[in-house]
Amino acid sequence: MSGESPSFLERHQFLIYRLFSLAGFVPVGAFLIVHLLTNASILAGDGGRTFQSRVDMIHSLGPLLVPVEWAFIFLPMIFHAVVGFVIIANGLPNVGSYPYVSNLRYTLQRATGMIAFAFIIWHIWQLHALGKPFGGGRFDAHEAASSTAAVLGSTAVSILYCIGILSAVFHFANGLWTLGITWGLWTSPAAMRRANVVSIAVGVVLAAAGLGAVAGFRSLPADSASHGHAASAVHETLPPSSP
Amino acid sequence: MMIRATDDAHAMTDAAGAQRGELVRVRILRQDVPSGESYWERFEVPYERNMNVISILQKIAAQARSQDGRKVAPVAWDCNCLEEVCGSCTMLINGRTRMACSALVDRLLAEDGDEIELRPMSKFPVVRDLVVDRRRLFRGLEKVEAWVPVEGSYDLGPGPRISPDEQEDAYPLSTCMSCGCCLEACPQYTKVEVVRREGESEKDFEARRKAAYDAAFVGAHAVSQAMLFNAHPTGRMIADERMKALTRQGGIQMCGNAQNCVAVCPKGIPLTRSIARAGRAATVWAIKRLFDR
Ligand code: SF4
Ligand code: SF4
Ligand code: FES
Repeated sequence: MSGESPSFLERHQFLIYRLFSLAGFVPVGAFLIVHLLTNASILAGDGGRTFQSRVDMIHSLGPLLVPVEWAFIFLPMIFHAVVGFVIIANGLPNVGSYPYVSNLRYTLQRATGMIAFAFIIWHIWQLHALGKPFGGGRFDAHEAASSTAAVLGSTAVSILYCIGILSAVFHFANGLWTLGITWGLWTSPAAMRRANVVSIAVGVVLAAAGLGAVAGFRSLPADSASHGHAASAVHETLPPSSP
Repeated sequence: MMIRATDDAHAMTDAAGAQRGELVRVRILRQDVPSGESYWERFEVPYERNMNVISILQKIAAQARSQDGRKVAPVAWDCNCLEEVCGSCTMLINGRTRMACSALVDRLLAEDGDEIELRPMSKFPVVRDLVVDRRRLFRGLEKVEAWVPVEGSYDLGPGPRISPDEQEDAYPLSTCMSCGCCLEACPQYTKVEVVRREGESEKDFEARRKAAYDAAFVGAHAVSQAMLFNAHPTGRMIADERMKALTRQGGIQMCGNAQNCVAVCPKGIPLTRSIARAGRAATVWAIKRLFDR
């Protein structure tokens, strides 16, 4: 019988699944909103100055930045992903036999979760300082716009970013709707329909912000981009402000 | 296209109307013993007007011959009321879970090809052919104590009054017939089949089977029944017990909001409303427990 005694995950299943649901909303979902809206500031039309000032604001946390990132972004995200994979492994999608819209959404929620997970790992490797030891980490906080633009200059990379962004946004917006059912915020079919409209609106706005930012980085005027490269050469001589 | 003409004299006299004398082709996924191999067998039965899947199965039992003329054991199936209230005749008809007694052949042929396909439910262990072991479904109702506790040795007197509004809210939930369609279509409700081990006593096996059922998702029907009895003025007396059961392993948290249950329920029970209400009740209950400790 010893092999059949429930595991920690099973004994606290309700609590863990609820924390999983909550984590997807805050802090992970909240971060997604802030992140996408920050990026969208590249569309301000001032060659990335607004974007740079937003980045500076975030980086003004200085030495606190890393612990804040881990506590409010990475760890909750890892928790959400690990539990998410357990949930995916235990389900049996069946859109083939039951092709209803909400069932399709159930399946897409799982597919986009996995795509977003893969994308985020790649994205962190490519731009975040954590990727530096592995040949990535190309984002430069002092040359925020131009260093990002350099990465997104590749059409293939941009397409993959669009797929990743859309997956994350669908996962968040659809998750918002199911979260309300899970916690019992909307219980009647009419309330679920209204919540659905709101979730779709949130998804559309975030998708526009995310895709708009990709387009914005790609269309940065060449001179500001080159200015960025020149400037980053200067910065290389300075000690990095963020580890 | 869907029904093949034949000069079978027997069929000619039997059937009436435009499609007299035609044969309906049926493909059935059979299985002789529990956890045995399953195999397809084809049958042909003479068409009659207003046939349903049960009448097809009755004809197959009477002829006990496969399409190619071999003598075969009659196909086993479950049914009882024949009017969609007992919930015993659930099967996969043309790939979709539904009641055999209310599945009309004319509609099936119109919706899907030239053959009717019958399979046993896929989320429960097959006993034989189309008969499945649905004890897990009833174990789910037991788990959430889906009843009003009025057992006693003396007359408790009349129960409290229930307002018409409450009655209207509760009535649809009370029509659940434990058919299990909601479970069959649910992507979160996956099959649990416990096989007796060599030398295992009946008692040990029972205990192991129940434990396996309790660990897995309880299902939309049980969530809905828990909400029905938690809304009932007398049933509410053990509301906490039900909430405890709903938040244990395999409880309400296992629902992935695919909402297939509500789409396939033959009784049109508002299952997602029940699920969301259970979610709300669980939220409140969990917070209360946190502070009342
Ligand atoms: S809720 Fe509906 S589908 Fe589920 S067992 Fe009851 S009647 Fe059948
Ligand atoms: S809403 Fe929940 S119970 Fe209903 S089919 Fe979906 S996962 Fe299953
Ligand atoms: S025989 Fe009772 S529901 Fe079909």
